[in-house]
Amino acid sequence: MITRQFGSEVRWMLRRPRTLIGLFGLILVPIIISFGIWTAGSDEGGGGPPGLGAILQGNGMVVPIFTLFLSLNLLLPLVASIWAADGLAGEAQHGTLRGLLVAPVSRVRLLFVKLFGLTAMSLFAVTLMAVVGIIAGTAFLGTDGMMTLSGTTLSFAEGLLRIGLFILLVTFQMVAIGAVALAVSSTTEHPLVVQAATMTTIIVFQVLGQFSSLDWLHPFLITTGFPGLIDVMRDPIPLGQIGDSTLLAGCYLLIGTGLAAMRLITKDS
Amino acid sequence: MTTSTSAPVTAPSKTAVAARTKGLRKEYGSTVAVDRVDLELPEGAVLGMLGPNGSGKTTTIRMLLGLVRPTQGEIELLGRPLPEGAEQSLPHVGALVEGPGFHPFLSGRENLVRCAAFEPLLPRKEIKQAVEDAIERVGLAQAAHRRYRGYSLGMKQRLGLAAALLVPRKLVVLDEPTNGLDPAGTREIRKIIAELHEAGSTVLVSSHLLSEVEATCTHVAVLHRGTVVAQGELTELLQAGGSALQVITPDVESALSALRQAKISARPLSDGLRVELAGTSAPQVIETLVKGGARVFEATRWKTGLEELFARLTEAEEAERGMSAVDTLDGGRR
Amino acid sequence: MNKRKVTLVAAATGVITGVAGLSLLAMPAGAGQPPSLPDVSAESLVQQVLTSKPGAFGGTVEVDNKLGLPAISQIPQLADGKHSARIWTDGNGKFRAALPNGQSEQTIVNDGKTTWSWNSQDNEVTKAEHKDEPKAEKPAQAESVDPATAAKQVVELTREFSEISVDGTARVANRAAYELVLTPKASEKTLIREVRIAVDSELKMPLRVAVLTNGTAEPAGTVGFSEINVGPQDPKLFEFTPPAQAKVTTPEAKESEQGRDRRPELGLEQALQGKDPQFFGTGWDTVVGARIPAEAMTQVPAEAQGLVDKFTKKVSGAWGSGQVFTTKVATILIADDGRVVAGAVPEQVLFDTIGHVK
Repeated sequence: MITRQFGSEVRWMLRRPRTLIGLFGLILVPIIISFGIWTAGSDEGGGGPPGLGAILQGNGMVVPIFTLFLSLNLLLPLVASIWAADGLAGEAQHGTLRGLLVAPVSRVRLLFVKLFGLTAMSLFAVTLMAVVGIIAGTAFLGTDGMMTLSGTTLSFAEGLLRIGLFILLVTFQMVAIGAVALAVSSTTEHPLVVQAATMTTIIVFQVLGQFSSLDWLHPFLITTGFPGLIDVMRDPIPLGQIGDSTLLAGCYLLIGTGLAAMRLITKDS
Repeated sequence: MTTSTSAPVTAPSKTAVAARTKGLRKEYGSTVAVDRVDLELPEGAVLGMLGPNGSGKTTTIRMLLGLVRPTQGEIELLGRPLPEGAEQSLPHVGALVEGPGFHPFLSGRENLVRCAAFEPLLPRKEIKQAVEDAIERVGLAQAAHRRYRGYSLGMKQRLGLAAALLVPRKLVVLDEPTNGLDPAGTREIRKIIAELHEAGSTVLVSSHLLSEVEATCTHVAVLHRGTVVAQGELTELLQAGGSALQVITPDVESALSALRQAKISARPLSDGLRVELAGTSAPQVIETLVKGGARVFEATRWKTGLEELFARLTEAEEAERGMSAVDTLDGGRR
Repeated sequence: MNKRKVTLVAAATGVITGVAGLSLLAMPAGAGQPPSLPDVSAESLVQQVLTSKPGAFGGTVEVDNKLGLPAISQIPQLADGKHSARIWTDGNGKFRAALPNGQSEQTIVNDGKTTWSWNSQDNEVTKAEHKDEPKAEKPAQAESVDPATAAKQVVELTREFSEISVDGTARVANRAAYELVLTPKASEKTLIREVRIAVDSELKMPLRVAVLTNGTAEPAGTVGFSEINVGPQDPKLFEFTPPAQAKVTTPEAKESEQGRDRRPELGLEQALQGKDPQFFGTGWDTVVGARIPAEAMTQVPAEAQGLVDKFTKKVSGAWGSGQVFTTKVATILIADDGRVVAGAVPEQVLFDTIGHVK
């Protein structure tokens, strides 16, 4: 029964026009990045972008990681918030939430169906971006394996493993953000409120992260964990920051899911 | 008004109940939406739930379906307490509450498939057939492939009904099912309700269209200001509603004074009067009138319809608050 | 009703766990209970530190720097704040250090014959082949973040001028350690109050160095392992193959290239690292002096001069005039005529010493 509900949820999400538009937008990112680096490369010089961007030239396998890393700051949270917003607030707005509840779907299960949909779609979107990134990256920039930030060169297979790991890490961050957005989503009938609240929070967190006078606050912000994920591109991989970021996201996931569950159980529909 | 409307008129039920509420109360903040609702829905009955807007019909239905938690009181649905037994009882309940709710970007058929996926009693391989049957039943076959976005109000309503009928139900709850339907559509809904009734399902229909209820229901419950003011079998309620005599006479003044002397209560109408038959009989009234010198052209038994009953039950309070009795009476007659 | 309550409680527990987890993550890693170790005399501990030969190990070093230094372009890791670096050594001179800087990284590998230095920011490798000495010195940059080496040097240089004691124990990188404290003798005219070195109780290898200055309770600087695993390391770590796309240069080529866009601090750095620095005094209040070539002084661009002015204070005296740059642990005096003196001393000591610079 639950697999059938999961399936229905994902089919429903994939049928949404805005999901398709969103996914299309997402796959443009790695293509644009690859193309941009490629054209920048042909005229040579002119101090490349900072960080990971500096090693992109001729290193197409890094494109998926660079793309996801960039997108994690804004684009992927936006997508996660849209899905979370449609999941509960959107269903409430269309009156379909009532239909599900009298079917009946228990409220806890409904939350898990929504979380599953969010996770599955996040994984799908992130993987899609990565795959397009690999294709576009290798097509435009070519590849001999994958060069890490530590200056070592990984084989194609090792590179794929790194990309796979990064996909999982980024998906998890997305799901954590989505879970908190689901909690917001359970309190309203207006999906836009959910998106606005989530994106405002993410942006405010990033701004707060810029002020060193607020450094006591930084460990509480999920956005603080984003930059550390780049450690995937170091060799050997230092697990400290990656672990911290993932634990941080895990805390958000727990809080979001818990709050959403509490709200759903006590909610009148 | 002298009829006894202050206490709920209740005709006792003899059969088993499909749903029952006891002392139901729901507060939203400081406002009380529903209070002291004791509702009984006999098995196999078609219960019409009547009440003006804001009388608590929808809130009661939502509590009955476990969508809203009552502040106080108990609910029993298909023999199980709610909300604990919701997972056992709700699969047998089909509902159309507060208008149909569907996704605008999906076609009618796709919407039903999504609903069906969450129906616990529907095996996976029967989903397709169940959806087609439901579409057929509500007469949406022509429009099933179209996006819900483009549906007319009536089509939306039919799709909502189809979703409620995806699975054979023990209880079907329809909140304003004929909303937005043309007369043909209304007839179809009546037909469906009759079919459900024949098949042994219990049906709960809420409506503000009295003719609707009168035509299709076996039982009636009248809600007013958040509480049940009358419920029972339709025929019994109508009988218990009291009777009156409509007398056409040009001599209203003399007729009234004659009746007053005989201690028979009566009220003037435009072309005659209405005489209450409580504690008296028609021949006695006519005799009094004739003796009093009033020319009686015509005397007919006043037919108590649901409409009048409803008006009496729901407007009694307004009358007591100072609205003129004549207005009320005219309202009831219209 | 019960089921609902149970679910509610479970959900609330989830929320509370999440919040508690966040707070735990936010808390700095607790020092934990200091381990109880058998007493050891300060003298023998110092001996053991100096004679210990750290074998192969790999670990993460945290540098917590509150010295008040401006960022030096080549070693951004030493600017104020917290930084971390990962180092590996095979115990026989082969060495690897990874110095992350934001999202880029500098990697230094000594494979026994060649020292490779890779910077992901420029996609550039500097290759320095060791000429004669088979076991080359570790590169200075890498050395500065290895607490074991740094501590050894401190002990070596200052032990005769210090009161040495063992002040309890500590847990560093999850290993039990003695706290060795070097306090400058009263006769030393230094800014430094004490240096605390956490010495591994088994390996006698320094795990953490903290420098405390007069008037503050918090260390002005700490270099220590946050994580260490002792034992043979993957030999692959001590190999380096320049990436296909990277530009490979030699230090000589790089230097001449840098000459073209000479930065103001470079002259100072070179003077301080000095081809032939002059030393004055001994112990904690040793002052190092040098003379910056006049052309380097005049090459300072105007905007860089502004930066220099921002961090320094104009001073003058019998010795002449110049600018003094003060941090918590060190003072640098640059005279207008190119003489430079520096040391872990108050500025008065520098005024007294600068006259001796040749």
